[in-house]
Amino acid sequence: MATIDFKNVQKRYGQFKAIHDFNLHVGEGELCVFVGPSGCGKSTILKMLAGLEETTSGSIEIGGRDVTDLGPGKRDIAMVFQNYALYPHMSVRSNIGFGLKMRGVPKADIDKAVNEAAEILELTDYLDRRPRALSGGQRQRVALGRAIVREPSAFLMDEPLSNLDAKLRTQTRSEIVKLQKRLGVTTIYVTHDQVEALTMATRIVVMRGGVIQQVGSPDELFSQPANLFVAGFIGSPGMNFFRGPVEIENGKAFTRFGEQRIPLGQVPQKLTAKEAIFGIRPEHLQVGETGVPVTLSLVESLGTEKILHFATPKGQETDAIETEIVSDEDARDKKTMLARVIDDRRYHDGETIRIALPEGKVHIFDTVTHEAIV
Amino acid sequence: MKKRSLLGNFALYGTVTAVCVVLLFPIYWMFLTALSPRTQLRSYPPNFWPRDPQWNVFSDLLAAQPFGLWMWNTIMVATATMILSLTIGVLAAYALSRHRLRGGQPLGLFILTSKMLPATLLVIPLFAIFKSLGLVGSLWSVVIAQATLIVPFATWMLKGYFDTIPAELEQAALVDGCSPLGALFRIVLPVASPGLAATALYAFVISWSDFLYARTFLATSESKWTLNVGIATLKGEFVTDWNTIMAASLMAAVPIIGVYLFLERYLVGGLSAGAEK
Ligand SMILES: Nc1ncnc2c1ncn2[C@@H]1O[C@H](COP(=O)(O)OP(=O)(O)OP(=O)(O)O)[C@@H](O)[C@H]1O
Ligand SMILES: [Mg+2]
Repeated sequence: MATIDFKNVQKRYGQFKAIHDFNLHVGEGELCVFVGPSGCGKSTILKMLAGLEETTSGSIEIGGRDVTDLGPGKRDIAMVFQNYALYPHMSVRSNIGFGLKMRGVPKADIDKAVNEAAEILELTDYLDRRPRALSGGQRQRVALGRAIVREPSAFLMDEPLSNLDAKLRTQTRSEIVKLQKRLGVTTIYVTHDQVEALTMATRIVVMRGGVIQQVGSPDELFSQPANLFVAGFIGSPGMNFFRGPVEIENGKAFTRFGEQRIPLGQVPQKLTAKEAIFGIRPEHLQVGETGVPVTLSLVESLGTEKILHFATPKGQETDAIETEIVSDEDARDKKTMLARVIDDRRYHDGETIRIALPEGKVHIFDTVTHEAIV
Repeated sequence: MKKRSLLGNFALYGTVTAVCVVLLFPIYWMFLTALSPRTQLRSYPPNFWPRDPQWNVFSDLLAAQPFGLWMWNTIMVATATMILSLTIGVLAAYALSRHRLRGGQPLGLFILTSKMLPATLLVIPLFAIFKSLGLVGSLWSVVIAQATLIVPFATWMLKGYFDTIPAELEQAALVDGCSPLGALFRIVLPVASPGLAATALYAFVISWSDFLYARTFLATSESKWTLNVGIATLKGEFVTDWNTIMAASLMAAVPIIGVYLFLERYLVGGLSAGAEK
């Protein structure tokens, strides 16, 4: 158990800057999830922490000890790889016990530790098999076993679930969280799946292009995204964005959505521009008697839950630059907005409904810096 | 696996039989020649089984020639060549495969060019080198000369194999507390054992069948002759005793079969399956 500190860590590959000035403190026993789109440097930062990649500059501390120049074997960490990296020529037992053996632990103690780990992970019946004779889920558990048996001061996991099918992934996700709580070992978990991040993390680090975008609890990221990118990345389906004017009247701010005036509450301190990008989550849009009339272009029904598609009001679409940085899993058309409703009403394509944007649920972003305005 | 049709079975076994017949016929013919009395060697139409097999040809050979010594020398040379080539090949291939060396790509290709020169071309410079090193007449000269031929190809074979082993395997070993060399010996080499076995077999066979280098470097030191050099001397100036030569050649082939049978279990690939998802 230990704290982890990154201090001004940078990484270059030749001319390419993979990590810019990375600073982070991870507390003891935390489950910290690094999330971000592909190529944002998550694996790189994890490998630097493991000692598998050198840092270009800056320092890394584990438990207050500077490990920047130590080899991976001396950092007292365990890592779970995306492809598991099980040793194919060894039995499950030897795979799990290998790290202890390398550290010169007596054979009897290794056996005991391996059996205990196998018990926790329900691998007892498979200890004498080779990895190739195991299912994907079992291999994944062997990889976990290899990590927990050493009782390291930190676990590093690089997309450990991405090779499992959806059902097994959800199941294993909660098992990892339980295991981590039970062992209390500081864990850094890398994923590009924001759902995984939201469900597992005590703290999330959102990254993009080698830069930390925001650090916070799942709730904070969801309700107070620091910028346009985080707002669009966290949540599924992603946040709706539209461009609108800023009007101020008696200390209250307003914008327009289609024909209607939308109250935004108290004028945020930093709100000085004439125009801004506004965001609202699909689940916060309210369908009712009042509001802006919109015509549904598509209705996706998931039983009682429905996703209603309608066009962003003319002239209020966000443009290409903004669209590009908002990474949404299903690469949504940015001229379309979504509302997520849970009710028993039937909706059909072409129908006109009224949509209201409740005060306090609308996020405001700067059109140039894309930072949240609060 | 899909069940083959009857016709498919026929085609498969037919082809296998045909290939075997073509490949094995010369060996059968060697056997036949070895056992036939000399007078029957050139009879036409040929006999497909000698009327009076001369089984004593083998014992006569062993009594008349230092066959055991030749065999011993050949085994020493082939084993040493195999170990030397594999050691150099493994280290070079591992470096080429794992470390993005400055100029690694051209270097890798350059290694292969030496393989493209005919061996005969290298005999003379090698002879000059070994002469000044005082190695002519020593088995080491043959070992080193053969290794110069085998190492380039062995390096490329092994590099290809190492490339298929995910880097995460070694990284996992490093995190588990191995040194980089420890990861190579404990993880990479065992996983690469089919590739190692194939390369070892290649080195052994090439070395075993070498005549040119052994003949050139060992000609004057009779006690160092290898099988191929020794067998060549059986061909007389006026009479050639084909039965004896064939008998000797047959016996010379036995160890190769032994080595193959030993390495076969490692040759079967697919060991690395299961490392990943
Ligand atoms: N050895 C390398 N040489 C050059 N560039 C590299 C190297 N390794 C990674 N990169 C680059 O660094 C960036 C970050 O890579 P990294 O593997 O950390 O991404 P990631 O966030 O883990 O992505 P993914 O979700 O796809 O795994 C990428 O743009 C990648 O191309
Ligand atoms: Mg990655």
